[in-house]
Amino acid sequence: MKVLKIHPEKCTGCLRCELACSYMQTGDYQPAKSVIRVSPFEGHTSYAPYTCTQCAEGWCMTACPVGAITISAVGAKDVQDDRCVGCKLCTIACPYGTMFYDPATRKAFKCNLCGGAPACAEACPTAAITYEDVETADWLGDFARERTARVLAEAR
Amino acid sequence: MARRHLIIGGGTAGMNAIRTIREEESERSTITLVSAEKPYSRMVLPYYLDRSIAESHVFTATARVLADWGTTTQLGKRATALDTKANVCTLDDGTKVEYDDCLIATGSSAVRAPVPGADGPGVHSFWTLDQARGVLAQIQPGSHVVMVGAGFIAFTILNSILSLGAKLTIVEVAPRILPRMIDDTGAGLVQTWLEQNGVAVRTGAKLTRIDDVKGRRRLKMAAGGDLVADVVIMATGIRTNLDWLKGSDVKINQGVVVDDHLRSSVPNVYAAGDVAEGRDLISQANAVHAIEPTAQEHGRIVGANMAGKDVRYRGSLIINIVEVCHLDVASFGAWDDAKAEAANGVKPDRPAYRKLLWRGDRLTGAIILGPSSDIWTSNDVGMLKGLVQSGVSLGPWKAHLKKNPFDIKPAFIATKTTSSLLPETILGRPSKAPGESPVAV
Ligand SMILES: Cc1cc2nc3c(=O)[nH]c(=O)nc-3n(C[C@H](O)[C@H](O)[C@H](O)COP(=O)(O)OP(=O)(O)OC[C@H]3O[C@@H](n4cnc5c(N)ncnc54)[C@H](O)[C@@H]3O)c2cc1C
Ligand code: SF4
Ligand code: SF4
Repeated sequence: MKVLKIHPEKCTGCLRCELACSYMQTGDYQPAKSVIRVSPFEGHTSYAPYTCTQCAEGWCMTACPVGAITISAVGAKDVQDDRCVGCKLCTIACPYGTMFYDPATRKAFKCNLCGGAPACAEACPTAAITYEDVETADWLGDFARERTARVLAEAR
Repeated sequence: MARRHLIIGGGTAGMNAIRTIREEESERSTITLVSAEKPYSRMVLPYYLDRSIAESHVFTATARVLADWGTTTQLGKRATALDTKANVCTLDDGTKVEYDDCLIATGSSAVRAPVPGADGPGVHSFWTLDQARGVLAQIQPGSHVVMVGAGFIAFTILNSILSLGAKLTIVEVAPRILPRMIDDTGAGLVQTWLEQNGVAVRTGAKLTRIDDVKGRRRLKMAAGGDLVADVVIMATGIRTNLDWLKGSDVKINQGVVVDDHLRSSVPNVYAAGDVAEGRDLISQANAVHAIEPTAQEHGRIVGANMAGKDVRYRGSLIINIVEVCHLDVASFGAWDDAKAEAANGVKPDRPAYRKLLWRGDRLTGAIILGPSSDIWTSNDVGMLKGLVQSGVSLGPWKAHLKKNPFDIKPAFIATKTTSSLLPETILGRPSKAPGESPVAV
């Protein structure tokens, strides 16, 4: 299956992925509604986008009491709006913190890989996000460990 | 291998077991479902109450789906006895069902405070679909609803009651609200929030009787003045539905004691969900976790084992989330562990609150509270669950989190929690979508 591969060292923090994502998902340029989130590291000198890994367990999907989360044709765990009752169980079940909830619509939402043409990957000017046929992985762990060492040491 | 499976109770655990049997088995077996009620999800009832979904939305399998699943059903009937020597279950109409293995998944029932008038007219429980229908029929805009009990279940329907235009008073005998979900500080913030949103809260308030006065209910309180209500909802606790097992060989403590395969003391009898006393992920001791995710995981593990697989359960994690008037309140794991090391942070004006608990350098419990419009709250909710579930070593991040309990994300990412979580699955394989099972729901 094709997944979003993150290359954190290439991210400049321009937030174009967030804009593209929110536009694709909601029709509005509203980064607050983006399901890919750019996080700062090293006191805002490096950045990396973070989103759903489409994990094998799919904790969000198995937790949903009404079966509102299914697997789409491209393999993404996808919320069916007409089934979702807004109970938030998926937001607490996903152990990666990549489920979102919209108080306005009272629905959960998440990365659905834009049906196979992810807007974030397309929008990223530095190819820090690519859409590839690889095993999903912890794309940010090593990068974040390295880029936080100084901040952590200073704090001590 | 067991050819005839009997599932007793068609709630969350029972239905997850049936679906998983069909997903996992290599040869088609016989499944019989005995259930006092039709299969539905109790935790969806609050959304039926606020009329945001139709009644049909609460059901987890229709007659047609059950037939497609090849399930023989005995609906509207109760199991009354289990003969584990003869492998026969007796139902309340005298029917006898033979089995090779069976699952006890009869869930819990609501219990009312033992005061005179508790069973009178206008006094309701909110646990079953029937009871939900009863409450829905009674609440009108402007009705005064008194909620007796301020536990988690009471809180799951507060928003619904308010959105029906009712006036709401909560009375709780304990000195504080949500005694089994969050700590004192969190409870104080939630209570203030409720009061700011027009909900009256009376804690330390003992109800002594309920009288019917001209079609309204008068709640006599031990102190502080009586209350008059149109509708009274008793959310005063639940009790496991295990009375029918009296006289069987199945060992019962707080619930049916089960091993790491969800087997009871009788090897071909499993138990799951609210009735099961299984392993707690954090303490590794046995406990009853009467929550939806535990019922789901238990049910799936039992289904796989009934289908002949050998699946061990790692234990269940207590996770709860509830939203009241756009404030998210959640807790995880051993949030009330008095022996744990703890740190907290409060932003009273938002309001926002975090409490983190450690054993060594592993996070073993957490409480989080914050505005639901704050996207970071929902992301942190998930990451805290991930940290507690994975039990990763936080190393130097522990000191960081102690000082900055709101700064969860860098700690989560830099400790490579994702790496430790990714290989984890409940059944030892990727999950199937609800609609990908042999027959779609
Ligand atoms: C209003 C409400 C809100 C909730 N909100 C949440 C929430 O937000 N998060 C959360 O984690 N949990 C929540 N819960 C709890 C959750 O619904 C339960 O933990 C879950 O349903 C347990 O599943 P179960 O399969 O063990 O039992 P149940 O779903 O209760 O199913 C038991 C089944 O057994 C049947 N039965 C009982 N006795 C017999 C008998 N003798 N013979 C045959 N059949 C019998 C019953 O009719 C029922 O069909 C909520 C519950 C309620 C009522
Ligand atoms: S939202 Fe979370 S649980 Fe669901 S597929 Fe993505 S990472 Fe997995
Ligand atoms: S919020 Fe919606 S998608 Fe998430 S668990 Fe509840 S019903 Fe399912």
